[in-house]
Amino acid sequence: MRFARKSGGYQRIETQMAPMIDVVFLLLIFFMLTLKVVAAEGDFSINMPIGAPAPANDELQLPPIKVRLTAGENGELTGVFFNNRQLGNTDVAFERLNTEILTMIGRPGNPLTKDMEVEIDADFGLQYRYTVQAISACTGKVNAKGQPVKYIEKIKFAQPRKPE
Amino acid sequence: MRFHKHDPYLADADMTPMIDVVFQLIAFFMVIINFEATQADERVKLPSSDLARPSKVKPDQELVLNVGYLRDAEGQPIDPDPYVFYAGDEKIRIPDMLAKLKLEAEFFQRKNNLGADDSIPTSVIIRADADVPTGMIQELIMLCREAKFEKFHLKAKAEEPGSS
Repeated sequence: MRFARKSGGYQRIETQMAPMIDVVFLLLIFFMLTLKVVAAEGDFSINMPIGAPAPANDELQLPPIKVRLTAGENGELTGVFFNNRQLGNTDVAFERLNTEILTMIGRPGNPLTKDMEVEIDADFGLQYRYTVQAISACTGKVNAKGQPVKYIEKIKFAQPRKPE
Repeated sequence: MRFHKHDPYLADADMTPMIDVVFQLIAFFMVIINFEATQADERVKLPSSDLARPSKVKPDQELVLNVGYLRDAEGQPIDPDPYVFYAGDEKIRIPDMLAKLKLEAEFFQRKNNLGADDSIPTSVIIRADADVPTGMIQELIMLCREAKFEKFHLKAKAEEPGSS
């Protein structure tokens, strides 16, 4: 049995590098774009209207919600107080604060929460991370499904406590 | 008079390099736009919160204030006082911010056709470092209020679920 041999013999295929490099660069840039370089940022809104004190609501006396945060010499957290009640000074304190807020509002999404306001009164030197933790604990919670559940969204700051 | 008929050389338009270049340009502008939109300063290490979610509606006018420390290579603050990183390169101490804030307020008042005593609907976005004393942020908010801003948003880094 004989195989027919092509008359032209072997043909040299030249690899073209330029389009390959182009495509590789494109892929590189595409993955660079999809890569999350920085973590997503979210925000908490603080509403502090000028000149207008909180409107007195005569029909409905809502209990005041005051969260006091105390700090040590280096700005570390030494205490979380919810309406003058000590809740601790660790991360558990913020969980307790979260539970207290939930007890106060009854259920998340309660229409009353629109009129409720939390006042954060922190020591001057307290590291800002703890303040954000406290605001986060008052604002809501992430449920088991990973969805945020809102508690009280109105947050304000008390007057800064200047060191003497 | 007779014209010689030349062989018609039909120039085949090679589309591949053109598409490559167009894709490169698209990718380039995507990158540029992404960086422009954030106005974030990489020197600020935001506090993290699992409840901080990127807001779906972006305020149409915002003033971003980055508050943080000047740090050395190991991340230790060089100067004990926090600075506002203003307009990219400028570093301003918080008590000295009032003049700049008043200028910004004037700009936004003119932009919205407001009088000098009207409060400004522009949101002030505060991106503060986790180690900054809370009192300093409160002072900054007070200065903003003096300059007639009244809406504030505190930025926090969104925690990945399960990373805490």
